Order: sequence, then C-alpha cells, then structure tokens
Amino acid sequence: MKAAIKKQMWTGARAIAEAVRMADVDVIAAYPIRPYTGIMNALASMIAKGEFQAEYIVCDSEHSQFEAVKHASAVGARTFVGSSGTGLIYGTEAAIVTALGQLPVVGVVGCRALDDPGNFGMEWNDALLFRDVGWIMAWARDPQEALDMILAAYRTAEDPKVLLPHFIALDGAAITHVASPVLPPDKQHVEEFLPPYKPLHPLDPKSDSISKAMHVAPSLIGPEQRKVLDVAMKRAKNEVIPQAWKLWGDLTGRRYPAFMDAKDLADAECVLLTMGAYSKNLEYVVEKYRGKNIKLGSIRLRYFRPFPAEELKEAVKDTKAIGIVDFSYSLGSPSYGSILYNEVKAALYDMDTRPLIMDFIFAGGREMTIPDLDQATNLLIGAAKTGKNAERPVRWMTVRGEDI
Amino acid sequence: MKEDTHLIMRPTEVNPEDYYVSGHRTCAGCGAALGYRLVLKAAGSNTVVLGPTGCMYVANAHQFLTSPYTVPWYHTQLGAGGPAGIGTAAAFRALIFKGKRKNEPVNVLVYGGDGGLADIGFSGLSMALSYDYEHLLYVMYDNESYANTGIQASSTTPFGSSTTFTPSGKVKPIGNERMKKNVALIAACHPGVKYVATASISHPLDLINKVRMALASGRPSFIHVLVPCPKGWIHPPEETIEIARLAVDTGMWVLWEYKEGSFSLSAKPTKRKDIKEYITKQGRFAHLRGNEEAIRYIQMMVDREWENWEEMDRTKKLIVPWVPSFQQ
Repeated sequence: MKAAIKKQMWTGARAIAEAVRMADVDVIAAYPIRPYTGIMNALASMIAKGEFQAEYIVCDSEHSQFEAVKHASAVGARTFVGSSGTGLIYGTEAAIVTALGQLPVVGVVGCRALDDPGNFGMEWNDALLFRDVGWIMAWARDPQEALDMILAAYRTAEDPKVLLPHFIALDGAAITHVASPVLPPDKQHVEEFLPPYKPLHPLDPKSDSISKAMHVAPSLIGPEQRKVLDVAMKRAKNEVIPQAWKLWGDLTGRRYPAFMDAKDLADAECVLLTMGAYSKNLEYVVEKYRGKNIKLGSIRLRYFRPFPAEELKEAVKDTKAIGIVDFSYSLGSPSYGSILYNEVKAALYDMDTRPLIMDFIFAGGREMTIPDLDQATNLLIGAAKTGKNAERPVRWMTVRGEDI
Repeated sequence: MKEDTHLIMRPTEVNPEDYYVSGHRTCAGCGAALGYRLVLKAAGSNTVVLGPTGCMYVANAHQFLTSPYTVPWYHTQLGAGGPAGIGTAAAFRALIFKGKRKNEPVNVLVYGGDGGLADIGFSGLSMALSYDYEHLLYVMYDNESYANTGIQASSTTPFGSSTTFTPSGKVKPIGNERMKKNVALIAACHPGVKYVATASISHPLDLINKVRMALASGRPSFIHVLVPCPKGWIHPPEETIEIARLAVDTGMWVLWEYKEGSFSLSAKPTKRKDIKEYITKQGRFAHLRGNEEAIRYIQMMVDREWENWEEMDRTKKLIVPWVPSFQQ
C-alpha cells in the first residue's frame, strides 16, 4: 500500500529546495545573500545528508554562479541557481548570455531592494532588471506555488520549442522565510511531468563538435539571435506554459490558471492588481470591501515574462479603474510610474475603452500595511466614481513628507 | 581515460593531429594562436575548450561563420574563465556519477588571456583552483596587454612597456610603471593544486609536456604561457618565436614547474643574455632607448629575481621574489 503523502509546514526556501531535489538537479551554484540564501542552505544540507546527489559549487561571486550553471547547462546538466538584490545584479552579464545561449537554467530571485542603504526590504527592481533579456519570469504566491512553479519552470525552459532560462521570483521574507502548508507532489507525478533533460547539442566530445557563441559579425546573425528568443517567448506563452499547468492540474488535482489569478472579478468596478505574496493582502481587502457592498476585485499576475496582455485585457474589459500595487520604481519613466504600472498601461493601450489605471508605489522596502492598502483602495474608488484623483494617477505610498 | 604522461623528447612523438586549424583571422605571427595549436595538440580530441573574451575570441571567427576548432568550444565572458571551467567539469562529474552519461572523463581546457585570467577573472580563477575537479586546466596566454582592444596595459604588462593606457610621455617617461604580476606563483599558492607551470611557445615540447602533465595531475591546474604579440610588442611577425626565446634566454621569462609541492626550473640559461637584447627588438620599449637608469633597473630586477629562482630550484620550495620599486 502506498503511504499517503502528508502536508508539510515549509518555508518558501525549503519548498524550493524540495522541488530542486524532486527535479533531480545535477549542478547547483551558490553564493550567499539574503533572503534567497536559505534555499541554498537547505540544498547543501540535503546533499550533505545524502538525500540527493548534485554537484554543489560554492562560488566566489554571483558572476561566477551564473557562469558556472550556464556552462554546466551547455554540457547537458540540469542546473539551479539564485540570488537576491545587488547580488543578482552582479551576475547580470552572465545571466544575459545564458538566454542568448538558449540554456534552460532555472533560478530563483528572492526579491530584495537594491542598495543603498544595504536595504533588506522587499522590492522587485532586482528581478525586473531582467525583464528585457529573454528570461521567463514567474511570481509565486506562497511556498506551495513556489514548489510547483520550479517543476513547471524546468518543464517549460527545457522544452525544445522554448529553451530559455527561467526565474521564479519570491517576494523576499514574505515567502522565503514564512512557513505555510505545502503538499509535496507524488514522485510518479513529478516523473511524468518532468522527463530528464535531453539537450539538442551538448558541449561534449562524444557528441557533435560544436563551436558555440563564436565571435561573429553582427551583420551575419545579430538580429536573428534576438529574434529566436522572441519566438521562443511566444511559444512559451501560447503553447508550453498553458499546457504545463493543465497537465500539472490533471496529475495533481491542484489547478492554477496559467497566467493570472483573480478574485471577485465578474462584476468588479474597481480592481487591485499585483504579483506575488502580497496578493493575499489584496484578497483580504477585497473581502472586506465586498462586505460593505463595494464592487472591488483583485488580479494577481503569475507571469511577468511572457506578459499576459490578452488575458488581462479580457479580464478588465468591464472594469472602471485598476490600481496597481507595485513594489518597483522606474525613475523618469512615462508618468513617473513604476515598472508594472507602465507594463499594464502598455498592455491595455489598444482596448476600445480603457479603464482608469492608477499606480500605488510601495518602493524602498518599507512594509505595506492593510491601512496603506485601504488608503490606496479608497483613492481608486474615489477616482472611479468622481474622476477626482484621476489627474494624478501615480502615488508614492508610505512616503513621509509630501508626494510631489 | 588512461593516462599516458611519459615525457615527449622528440618532435616526431608529438600528436600529428591538429584541433586548432584554419578558419581564423589572427594577426600574422600571433603568439597566442601558435600557442593554441600546441596546447590543443597536447590536450587531444577528448577535450572541451572554453574561451574567455580576448584575442582568442574575437580573432577566431567573425566574418565568415567559420570555426578553427575541431573539438567542442564555447565562449565565456571575459571574467568567467574560472567558473566556466568549473561548471563544465561539474556537469560531466554529475552526469557520470548519476549514470546519465557514459563513464569516460573529459578534459576541460580554459584558454584565456592575461586580461581574462589575471585581471577581471582573477577571483573566479582562484575559486576554480580551490576545487578538486580532475582534468581541468587553465592556460593563460599572456601577450602582456589587452591586445584586441588596442594594446591597453594589464596586470601582466612588464615594467617599462608602452601601451595605449600607459603611453610614454614627457612627465611619464617609463610608460607602464607597474611590475608584472606573477600569476603562476599565486596559482601555486592554492593548497591542493598539484600542477602549476610557466611555458613559452619558443619551447614547444616543454609546453606540450606541461599540458599533458597538468591534465593528468588529478586536480585543477594552471599554465602561464608567454606569447609575443607583433601588434602590441611591435616587432616583425616572423620574429615571434625568436622574441619568445630571447625572453627565456635573457631571464625576462622563467620556465618552471611546481609539481605536487616541488619546484624546478625547466630551462636554466648558463649565462643569461643582456636584457637589452630582448627589449631593443621591440617597439613597445623604444622610448627606453637612452634611459640607462630604467634599463639598469630592469636588468637588476631580473638578476635579483633569478637569485630567488635558483634558490627555489635548489630547495624545491616556493619563494616570493621581491625587488624594490623603481626610483626616478
């Protein structure tokens, strides 16, 4: 008789480590920076205890981390990497060529504010600096989804139709360090969902003698090199990601909408939109306002790249106003808005009737409280009703002093 | 892999196959390209090569979609030679250990320049040398400058050399005032490393033997090869090998190996030639003509360091050579 799988109380860090073990990852490269480090600590401990086998490289920098997994992946190993904040930025050069090398590295960003001041608050600018360079990027809501997303990430990244690296973003501390119930998947389901990685052209003398990433004049292949990544991203969006989540739902019974999750959207006049862990706070506020007969709903994007523009347009077609709850900033950008805000605006631009879009910026790593969210919601509802506030759509929340 | 590491004594014993062939556009007389050919001959067909950015990246393809490599080759970023080798070696070890690949070890060779391994990738190289991967060799081809970007000084550019970042001028007559970093000695200071050597393309059998010894040593290894650069050193292309030999004969470049804790000189010139024979043949030192003080300093530096090299050869132990800095 098969032993029943028990629910576990796992932090996001532990849940990710368990997913990496289940994926039978071959090469892991580590370098410490909070808050993602707990994942690597957990993996090191599993390897030391013999719970699974992988080459675990203790690197001298994030640059080396990302280079090590890039090259391990080129040989044909399944790899895992991660970082946070400024550490991730230190590895940038290597991360960019990983995408151009079409290497299906999977990594975690434990989202953390960039320096200064040695900021350990939660902010998305570390992960979002990678939005243009060919990494698939998903935001997990909780440890359970983080675990599931890791497995889906390997499946998506390694699909020969895609072959792109893949980040899972975890809102720092809120997911990495907080334990919540996780139901580990059945081993057979994982095996069915995630077959072993078979690279098309491994860098191995026993295979073809390939020269990879030669220094070639841009006039010969420059545009095409970028275009293949564009096509890969489209395939991920249109085929591979939706199919992966459908299969995962069929196997485990745990069903996720592929690209975005919504609460009380059907008749919502106003909608709050975010990604990641703080979507739970949005749902709490939605319930509270619904109790007062206010037609509020919420949306959580599960993927930022590829961006679910069509899904979002469809979801908000009857909505009067959308409020972006955003943990990023983009100084000097259009409307001086945050990154997610400007992405949503761009995505909805060609709708026949566009909703009002407001931006609530929670930058700088200061904790967002429920009263802060209430304040944002009231501004949004007021703007939708009266048009008041609409001329100032971008608001810096929790800032002491005047929001000029 | 069965190790065959007997010393090759005659050119006829050298592997006739080439794995670095035509299809590149390096300068005429390029020392780094000549070195590539010899190093790959020694490493053999069962090798993956990783090339950090540098001359041996930009000059080996470009216009014609050709490749001069008949073994698998992958570019790595300028500062990434160390982790590229480690990641590649780790992948082979993991896949073999887990039964996902046939149990046949592979040579992993990183062929990087002095900019790539002595400067921007120094930290990654050091990390790599602290590991225990077998059949992993870092060869630093040292043309003593960032040559493909137009001859800028690196930390292995010798004292007195003029580069585009250290030109000689009225208030800075010496050109490069920093002294050449001894990367191989630093590599040898990593506990656990079993093989470190210096080499020169003017001594091909010595270079080939050192590559074979390094790959068979059982640990990550390092070889520092001096490769003259006609463009940067400013000498006729047909004199590349002669200049390389003069570097050894004047004692400006020292051939040695450090094998499992034991140091030995590989070439002991009975009477070292005057360093003037070396520097007067190169345009990069032309501004030193008439600067007897600077020339005397370079000769003194070589002589003082050689006292240390000879002592190392006698005692088999490492000593860090030290000379006072140049006082104008």
